[in-house]
Amino acid sequence: TQDLGDGYLSKTHFQVRNRHIPPDLKEKNNDNAEQMLFAHVEEPLDDSQAAGVCSTEEVVRYEYHVLYSSSYQVPVLYFRACFLDGRPLTLDEIWGSVHASYQDRLQEGPWDTITQQEHPILGQPFFVLHPCRTNEFISAVLGGSQEHHRHTNYIILWLSTVGPVVGLNLPLSYAKLAPEQSTDADL
Amino acid sequence: MTDDKDVLRDVWFGRIPTCFTLYQDEITEREAEPYYLLLPRISYLTLVTDKVKKHFQKVMRQEEVSEIWFEYEGTPLKWHYPIGLLFDLHASNTALPWSITVHFKNFPEKDLLHCHSKDVIEAHFMACIKEADALKHKSQVINEMQKKDHKQLWMGLQNDKFEQFWAINRKLMEYPPEDNGFRYIPFRIYQATTERPFIQKLFRPIASGGQLHTLGDLLKEVCPSAITPEDGEQKTQVMIHGIEPMLETPIQWLSEHMSYPDNFLHISIIPRPTD
Repeated sequence: TQDLGDGYLSKTHFQVRNRHIPPDLKEKNNDNAEQMLFAHVEEPLDDSQAAGVCSTEEVVRYEYHVLYSSSYQVPVLYFRACFLDGRPLTLDEIWGSVHASYQDRLQEGPWDTITQQEHPILGQPFFVLHPCRTNEFISAVLGGSQEHHRHTNYIILWLSTVGPVVGLNLPLSYAKLAPEQSTDADL
Repeated sequence: MTDDKDVLRDVWFGRIPTCFTLYQDEITEREAEPYYLLLPRISYLTLVTDKVKKHFQKVMRQEEVSEIWFEYEGTPLKWHYPIGLLFDLHASNTALPWSITVHFKNFPEKDLLHCHSKDVIEAHFMACIKEADALKHKSQVINEMQKKDHKQLWMGLQNDKFEQFWAINRKLMEYPPEDNGFRYIPFRIYQATTERPFIQKLFRPIASGGQLHTLGDLLKEVCPSAITPEDGEQKTQVMIHGIEPMLETPIQWLSEHMSYPDNFLHISIIPRPTD
């Protein structure tokens, strides 16, 4: 396996609460702590729509980092979120914003699912989606795709599964791979 | 000759005399006296400071009190690091008692994790134990245990019960007879001078030829600057639980006997005092 050293993937997007705005995704491989910021906030059509929807408290800035855990040998999703005035979201607000389909699993074991932890490279508080269960469901899916000779990029597979839990949605274009990427050497 | 088991007790019962002082800008109804306490090295600040909180809240108005946090000489103290690690890293070569400043306002969101209840500490502690076992045993030992065993580890720590804790923890310190140690050693190396909070890498306790790797071997591999003398002088100290173990010590032995209750070896690299 490749040693990722000190690098990590990072992406930032804005989301209006209760109304998802798909961001224009451009990821960058970051070897230093720079984040690439791209905003895609919908402009209100008229003043009457602006009131109550586009106030700065309603817009949340999410920052996602993908790191590799050498202990569990899986990728781990770190993220943080704050309102435009800088106020960070609390753990309760994060739990509350988890996608409806995952709320039951979250209620079962919130402390096994999303917790606040120290970012191992930046040393700052981030929220983390626990990697404990990752191997279980990734193996199950990978097993299936190998049977059907489908080509799989592990990171895309993992991120498209765990990302939506915390508001990170990948557009379908990620499913289209360049031919040279889709070899068994990826697994 | 001291039994190895005595080391386990010495580690567990280590204490640091501490003086807690309320931050001068906190608003009080009368003067706040400092509060003195012996802190267990192996525990966590927010787990053992209920009395400190009560003491200072008595002189403050309810509306002035929000989440408590601690600071030493301007540095917010990370409650999720064991107390002994915080002391060794920041204050080991200063005069006792350790002087910690207590805050109830302006929680430093960018530096510290929140700790609204004991559940947060338990979740953090158990997550560390699970990660340590992932490294030592591919999680086999921790996953085979029942929920009540996990609870016993936490209760042992919370209530300062050495026997109760080690009744379960000894299983996490075993390894198959055909091996000579764990798969990988759970460790973290901390240096107050670096950007990065800690160094953690995969490291095997046994070399391919079967020899036991030492503490010196570990440092040479993951943090060589810690043991390379500059101009022939050793500028740093390598500290675990307030002592400098010999670099020849087998890392497997250190992992079994000098880990914290979370099953990690937390190692501090600090400047050597000049006098």
